Amino acid sequence: MLIKNPNRFTLGRRTMLRGMIGGASVALALPVLEAMLDSNGQAFAGGAGPARRMITWFWGNGVALNDPNNGGGGLRWTPAGEGAGYELTPQLQPFVNVKDYVSILSGFRVGAANPGRRGHHDGCVAFAGHPFVELPPNGANYASKFGGPTIDQVAAAAIGSQTYLPSVQLAVSKRIIGGEGPTLQFLSHQGPDLPLTQHFDPREAWNQLFGSFSVPDDPTKPHRIASLDAVKADVERLKMRVGTADRIRLDAHLASVEQIRSQIDALAPLCEIPPMTDQNNDDIEGQEQLEAVNRAMSDLIVMAFQCDVTRIASLQFTGSVGYTVFNTVGATAGHHDLTHDGGMNDMVDAATIFTMQQLAYLLEALHNATDVGGTLLDNSVLFATSDAASGLTHSTDDMPIVVAGGGGGALTHPGIHYRSPSGENTSDILLAVLKSVVPEATEVGSANGYSNTPLAALLA
Amino acid sequence: MLASGLVPLGCYSGLGGGGESAADGSATDGELESGGDETGPDGGSDEGGVDADFEPAPVRLRLLLARQYVSSVGDLLGDAAAEAVTPPDDVAINGFDAVGASQLSLSDGKVDAYEASARAAAQLADANLLSSYHACAPTGPSDDACLREFVTTFGRLAFRRTLITAELDSYTGLGLAAGVDLDDFDQGVRTVVAAMLQSPNFLYQVEVGEPGDIDGHRRLTGIEMATRLSFFMRDSTPDAALLDLAEAGGLDDADGVRDAAWTIVESTDARLALADFASEVYRLRELDTVPKDPEVFPTFSPELAASMEQETRSLVAHLAFDADGDFRELFDADYTFVDSRLATHYGLPNPEQYGETLTQVTLPPEQLRGGVFGHAGLLSVLGHVTTTSPTHRGKFIRQQVLCQDIPAPPVGVDTTLPPAADYQTMRERLEAHVTDPSCAGCHLLMDPLGLGLENYDGIGSFRTTENGAMIDASADVDGQPFAGAQQLGAIVKENPEATACLVRNMFRHATGHIELPTEMVEIDELVATFADGDHRMRAFLVELVASPAFRVVGEPG
Repeated sequence: MLIKNPNRFTLGRRTMLRGMIGGASVALALPVLEAMLDSNGQAFAGGAGPARRMITWFWGNGVALNDPNNGGGGLRWTPAGEGAGYELTPQLQPFVNVKDYVSILSGFRVGAANPGRRGHHDGCVAFAGHPFVELPPNGANYASKFGGPTIDQVAAAAIGSQTYLPSVQLAVSKRIIGGEGPTLQFLSHQGPDLPLTQHFDPREAWNQLFGSFSVPDDPTKPHRIASLDAVKADVERLKMRVGTADRIRLDAHLASVEQIRSQIDALAPLCEIPPMTDQNNDDIEGQEQLEAVNRAMSDLIVMAFQCDVTRIASLQFTGSVGYTVFNTVGATAGHHDLTHDGGMNDMVDAATIFTMQQLAYLLEALHNATDVGGTLLDNSVLFATSDAASGLTHSTDDMPIVVAGGGGGALTHPGIHYRSPSGENTSDILLAVLKSVVPEATEVGSANGYSNTPLAALLA
Repeated sequence: MLASGLVPLGCYSGLGGGGESAADGSATDGELESGGDETGPDGGSDEGGVDADFEPAPVRLRLLLARQYVSSVGDLLGDAAAEAVTPPDDVAINGFDAVGASQLSLSDGKVDAYEASARAAAQLADANLLSSYHACAPTGPSDDACLREFVTTFGRLAFRRTLITAELDSYTGLGLAAGVDLDDFDQGVRTVVAAMLQSPNFLYQVEVGEPGDIDGHRRLTGIEMATRLSFFMRDSTPDAALLDLAEAGGLDDADGVRDAAWTIVESTDARLALADFASEVYRLRELDTVPKDPEVFPTFSPELAASMEQETRSLVAHLAFDADGDFRELFDADYTFVDSRLATHYGLPNPEQYGETLTQVTLPPEQLRGGVFGHAGLLSVLGHVTTTSPTHRGKFIRQQVLCQDIPAPPVGVDTTLPPAADYQTMRERLEAHVTDPSCAGCHLLMDPLGLGLENYDGIGSFRTTENGAMIDASADVDGQPFAGAQQLGAIVKENPEATACLVRNMFRHATGHIELPTEMVEIDELVATFADGDHRMRAFLVELVASPAFRVVGEPG
């Protein structure tokens, strides 16, 4: 459901009162709502700027870059012109209502994929700028892990403690690959051994975002907290008995326990909790509800941002090497197979357009939601790309990349098409994206994916 | 001491009721038997004759698999508690849940899921079970001594070892505070339960070991063995009797382990655990999400998919625990297990006679079906949305059944298949593809195996034509011609790589890591043991857990 009335989240007297009474134990930043703005409506009374949000958005198997029926020359994805006046190509047409907020970056290569080792895995690392860690199969399945945190988790490490949840991970299509390790399976990673599980069911996502606040007078609350303290003591004792690698794992375990402890201790945010969604993610007659689930997940992101439950979200629309069946455009093969069938380029094209329509839904929902000094889209940055330029070659040159949102004024507006003249590193884009949320950031990635040069064309 | 050619098969005449060998090499009372090896027990070596060249991998903390977590909660707290928990999904690495469980860390979301599950389990824990963990009658919410008794008894089962004083104090204090605050001794107990289920001592298999006979070797302690044994063989936490046995030294040598394993292998839990392993290796869990086009395959349904999974699990459990024969019949058995849905699917006469319970049947010979490669579940998982995939089928057999590495398509190579519409049959289409030399190398490894299975469509139904053309299902595997699942299975069955791969897969699952080259010496011993035991699975499970490969680990990593 699209949020028609952005003013629905008003401060109720009761929640306001609770916030003041419980003030001593509030571990949350207060949400940025119009009711709390100064008379100019631009900022907190205290003078702080609007909260900045970040979304990473993934789709699998690339795009149909060109139209082979047109000698390979018809551009289906990349705009012909550059700058702010670029014209939307057929696959980008879904952004027509938010084009001013959409920048298309083309001609970039995934620096961290150099040297190329494995199709799809190489492309996924565009979200981190760290080369993946290969886990030699030795007669078992090939697998890899991320070499370092994805950009959303770099941001979460910097600003995540200001909200109830540091970040949230969502997914739409269930047809994803679980057999080749965390790189293909997950979009968000805190590190090689810490991939973050995504919610496929909107009801579970709602529950994490809005359904888990503990009631202030819950008599079990102090004992839940004391239980976690006992667990922490156990983890500390166990650390003394294990090796170096396991101590690192247990440190991560401790940090997670600490986070959940703070969530139990926190009060509900000062907004009206949206009603629970009834949207599930079950197949109907063997087919996925891609559009309905995408709408529900996108709405949840908007509501979570408005409520300031979190400022960082990732959404895996389809999976890397994913086998989503785009039945609404007439596909009868899984997406990955489709991209490897020479006769199916039109269907790949249709699937790409469908996918961008789903992304456009989220951008429009952000645009329809008011926020300090404008809309949520003004104060957000979204980074979207795939695991390959086009599925049939697995190439990580000329990646299809969308950066959207105003970044709270940090990003160039209106949006542009910038085509790299020299195959620049996708990490330059990542760093510009990161700086819009974490202005003090100076670098991202490592090895061939390292960058300390944010893409200037993207910055305001 | 170097092992002789075999892990000592002559050791079965174990202490305290272990198997006794008959002189003619036959099994008695269902227990394995010496293959004529006269080596006696390695009396002096409690590592069971470990090879000096064996260099075990570093031992790691291993998170309980989701199914192990649920079973453990059920064993400790009852069925209602087990039904209430929702542990995080397993994450496979190199294709194995256990490998992911030994490498990955716990994120916020996972700790959150464990916290919620622990509270739900504690509140729904069976009251009679809870009170069985203390003999005392609590005098009230502040009965410190009685609560301490509960913590001592329940804690030993939950942590799978005796608690140290600091832990006893910590959990007793926690429960006491809750009990007094909530004015209810029972709530104090349930608070302890919820906390302990979140402890790393419950959530991980903690294996540290003690110095072994050889530098760099660590031998799992008795109670660590009880845990590893129980989770591997029955996917659940060790019971009090097994912990008692371990603490009394009963698992300190290979024979003691064999005796304990022979008891477990008789249990229903052992059947379920092996079937779960089969669901993992044969990818049957993917039947839940594998997409099939409703126009092309109108009979495919969640119910049929569930029956398909049960078919393979039934054959595995039957071969291992009922027939107790050559487990390699998994590859070519001329019978299978069907309910009415599967009977219809396979075109058996009078399918309605089979009802909801799976029954053993002989398959129609004209379908050339036999063994797991003809099972509809595997054939469905390895098929596309509307078609078969000879490549996926062949790749699976190479990779999961023979443990061969298949290189990925080189980066930058155009992996586009010729348009499907241009070819009537899958064979024609793939053959056009492999005229490209950059593709041919790998595809010629994979495709022929699958092309011999082309008489089974994308959901494993038998067919003789495709798009109106007769299907040519003749094929060869490494030069040996075959047609159909049973003939392929018969070839695979005789391939020593298949037996070795099965052993390697079990070792990976049992230990949570992909075997290192330096571990192959003991794995090879196990492969030989399996062969010498006529490939009978029950006895092999017992030998696996008694072997140094299972009992000896490297330094903590």
